Order: sequence, then C-alpha cells, then structure tokens
Amino acid sequence: MLAASACPIAATAQAVADPWPALQTSLFPGKKLEPAPFIHVTAPTRAASGDQVPFAFAIDHPMTANNYIKSVTLLVDANPVPLAAVFHFAPESGKAEISTRIRFDTDSPVHVVAESSDGKLYVTAVTVKASGGCGGSVSGDDPAVMAAAGKMKMALGAPLRVGAINKARLLIRHPMYTGLQRNLTTNGFRPAYFIQKVAVSYNGKPVMVADTSIGISENPTLEFGFVPDGPGALTAVLEDNTGATYRQSIDVGG
Amino acid sequence: MRRLCALTLLLAVACAPLAAAPLHVDKVAPGVYVHIGQHKDVDDGYNGDIANIGFIVGDDAVAVIDTGGSYATGMALKEALRTVTQLPIRYVINTHGHPDHVFGNAAFVRADGAGQAPQLIGHARLPRALALRRDGYLRNLKKQLGDGAEKSDLIAPTLTVQDRLTLDLGHRTLELTAWPDAHTDTDVTVFDSATGTLWTGDLLFIDRTPAVDGNVNGWLAATRQLKQLPAAMVVPGHGPVTRDKNLALDRQAAYLSTLVRDVREGIRRGDDMTATMTTAAASERGRWQLFDAVNRRNVNLLYPRLEWE
Repeated sequence: MLAASACPIAATAQAVADPWPALQTSLFPGKKLEPAPFIHVTAPTRAASGDQVPFAFAIDHPMTANNYIKSVTLLVDANPVPLAAVFHFAPESGKAEISTRIRFDTDSPVHVVAESSDGKLYVTAVTVKASGGCGGSVSGDDPAVMAAAGKMKMALGAPLRVGAINKARLLIRHPMYTGLQRNLTTNGFRPAYFIQKVAVSYNGKPVMVADTSIGISENPTLEFGFVPDGPGALTAVLEDNTGATYRQSIDVGG
Repeated sequence: MRRLCALTLLLAVACAPLAAAPLHVDKVAPGVYVHIGQHKDVDDGYNGDIANIGFIVGDDAVAVIDTGGSYATGMALKEALRTVTQLPIRYVINTHGHPDHVFGNAAFVRADGAGQAPQLIGHARLPRALALRRDGYLRNLKKQLGDGAEKSDLIAPTLTVQDRLTLDLGHRTLELTAWPDAHTDTDVTVFDSATGTLWTGDLLFIDRTPAVDGNVNGWLAATRQLKQLPAAMVVPGHGPVTRDKNLALDRQAAYLSTLVRDVREGIRRGDDMTATMTTAAASERGRWQLFDAVNRRNVNLLYPRLEWE
C-alpha cells in the first residue's frame, strides 16, 4: 500500500516562516499586488500525489490589442524552487488560461500573479495539501527516458473554429529532473534536466510562451487557448536547460 | 541477597525496552500467526498499523513476515511473538518496500536474547527502492505519526531474493518467490508448505482498494499466475485471511482491469485527469473500502503514464 511519492530532498524543518512576503519582495519589488477574484483557479485541496497535481487558472480579463493579460507567474511557495512557471500571453491567446500539472514538495500555498499590459499586477492564492512528491522516485530506465525526451503530442480539443477561442493540448515527454533527486551510484544528485521554455505560435504569431522550471511535473502537459484568423499551422518549440531544442507543428483547419 | 534480587527485578522491569502492548495476532494455521491491519487511509488517521503482518514458527526458529509501519508496531509484533514462542527469530522477510510494511524492521535488527540477529530478507531490487524513497518516506512518516514515528527506519535486507529462495525453520520450509514489476517492483511471496499457506504481500488486496504503484499490467499478470498456485489459505497484504484465493484474485483483477480500461477511455475522450478521477472504475466503488481516496491516487498515477501509450 501507500502510493509512491519519493521526495528526494533531505527532511527540512517542519515549521518555517511564511515564504510569501520574501518571494513577493524579490519577484515584484516595490509593486502593489491587487487581490483579483477574476483569476479563477482549479486545484485539489488535497492532492492525490505531489508528483502530478492538476492545476489550472483562467483569467476573466479583456484580451484586446491594448488591454490584455501579458503574463502570469505561478509560484508554489513551499517548494525548493517556488517559481514553477511564467506564462506569456498575447491578444491572440483569446484568454489567459492554462491547465497543467505541477509538483508539490509539501503542503503549500500557490500564488498566481497576473500582469496586465498596462503593468498592473493581480494576485490570487489557493492552498494545496500534498504529501511529499517533489520529483518522483526516478526509478525509470535512464537511456530510454533520455531518448524519448522532447517528444511531443499536440492536438486541438475540437475541430477548428475561426475567430473563436480554440483549446489546444500539448503533451511533452521529458523527465524534468529537478537536480534534487538522488543518484544512487554516485551518492550525489542527478543533475537538473528540464524544459525551460515552451513557445507556441499560430501562423508565426506567438499565442503562448512559457518559461518553465522544475516545478512542472515530469512529462509536462499544457492546455491553452488561441484565436485563429484562418486555417494554419500551430507550432511548438521547446528548449531544455542544455540548450537542445525540439519542434513540432500541426496543420489545423486546412 | 533477597533484597538484591528484588532490586534487579525492579531494574529489569524499569529498563525493559518498550513494554509495548502485544499486537493482537490470530493463529490461522498450526504455527502461522497473523495480525490483521486496520483499513485506515494514509492521509486520514494513519497509525502505522494498516498492513497484515505476522510470523511462522518452526521447530528451531521463527520467520517474521512484514514488520508494520513503525518501530512501535514492529515492537508490538515482537511482543506478540514472544507470548507464543521463545525460539530465535532467524528471518525477517519484507514482502515489498512500502512503508506500512517495512518501517518496523528497526524493531528486529538486533537479536533479542541469545543467538544471532535475524537476517533481513527482501527482493533483489529492495535495497535500491528503499534508498531511492528513504528521505520522502521518513519525512512522510514523521508528518503522519509525529512522535509515533520515533526509532522507525528503513533497514535494507541483508539477504536478497533474485528468483527463489528456500528458508529452513526446522522441519518447516518457506519458499520465497521474487516477482517481476507488479504491485511494486519489489514484491516477494512466501509459501509455507507445511500448512499450504501463501502470504501474498500486497500482490493481493481484499476489501481495501488495491493501491497501484509498480506496473498494473504486471500486477494483472501476477494475479493470473497466483491463481495457478496451490494454496489452502492465503494471507493478503490487506484484508482478511481467506481460503478462497481465486475469488479474491478475481475481484482484484476486476478492479484493476476496470481502472485501466476507464483511464484509457477518459484519455481517449479528452477528459482531463481530474474528471477521470471521478469516473474511472466508478462501477467498482461499492465493493471496496477507502475507495475514493485510493482510487483517485491510482488515477493520478496511471493517467500520466497511459497518456504516452
């Protein structure tokens, strides 16, 4: 019994000070963060596994050429690397909306900070209980995992609708090694190996760019929206922290 | 002299290591004793005593099979054992590496009384599995049990099983079998030929929702193989001892295959993981204890894997 959530990090102090004030100061110095009920978050209150916690946000905010949400920062306060991802949007995104899976080292608040094109910052937070899953047990077969890294599957959820928000789903094969997982042969740590950038464009125009970190789960999944002006090509380009890039393109609505 | 004796006695009582109340054990066959764990969820009221653990007594020695989820549980099992026999504990077998079965190993690392310390026995992959999960398991246990986690530790086997291993307890042999990746990648079963009792470890769950960790298809394959084995009685990893092994194995296979089928179906339909958690294996819900918590965890583990099939 007991699901496998190996937490490769040495046990840390149980009660620590709330990390949020310091995170806020370092990431958004001198800025005012306005509580935003229009940032809608979907997350379990108690995650079934800290390795793969489904997490989604959707922001009810105009997405016009001169008034839109340009970025959303996702922070898991209690993780060893709290900054899980920064998502960049464009009016062509249709809505600042992402569904993905993230890692929790322990119970933690998650802060979702949105920045609008006029530089205003909005915030909302939820708390997720998660039993130590900061990276999985990494018992996978290394060469096979490495050979598959960067493979992608991308698809639309429904047939293309021109001028409306279409949902696309991108699955990425990648171990997302945290750098905090033990390597049993060397007794040290397995080096970090993760996707650090996901850039999706439609007919050459960016619709969603994500700066990602080890807080994103192994085999990352991203669901996002975009508004097509006609049939065309949806292209994803990945970059990992070794500088390797991977590209996939699908023709839609043609 | 009398005074000295009285003093020694007093000291002996005062210094007796952990006068733990002995665990309740049932004698399910001659020389076969089982403590039935409680169906508590690991996230809700967990007490380190949820797995079936026990021991088998031969003419010369005793083998312990699984040690429980904490040092305290392991000690209480040892107390129960000592109310039954004073023979030395020669072997401590771990049926797999999950914390509810192995944390009590710490209670058995030293010999109690005369003789040598027991040999700890597990699957050939168990040392690696315990090392990989050690930090996380220890941290979780402290979170779950607080002071109750005291002295609990993951102690790796001193003797491992690659394929098969026969142990002698004195006119009684135990046949150990190491399994391919199934419930976990460290599953070992124990067959007591004297009574025809098969200890499956968590290769078999009865009543409690089976928890997926290793390889579900491997587990289904192991379930089919277990059906072929002759056994008069089965001690599952969780749930009551049974004489109807194949009925229990069929029920477990029905759950696992329904779960896999429904998760695949959810992925094919484009349902996300959260939605699939509530729909997958829903038809099995009435048959199992702790279904909601365990089934969600199973989907959480399987969905990301099956996406890449």
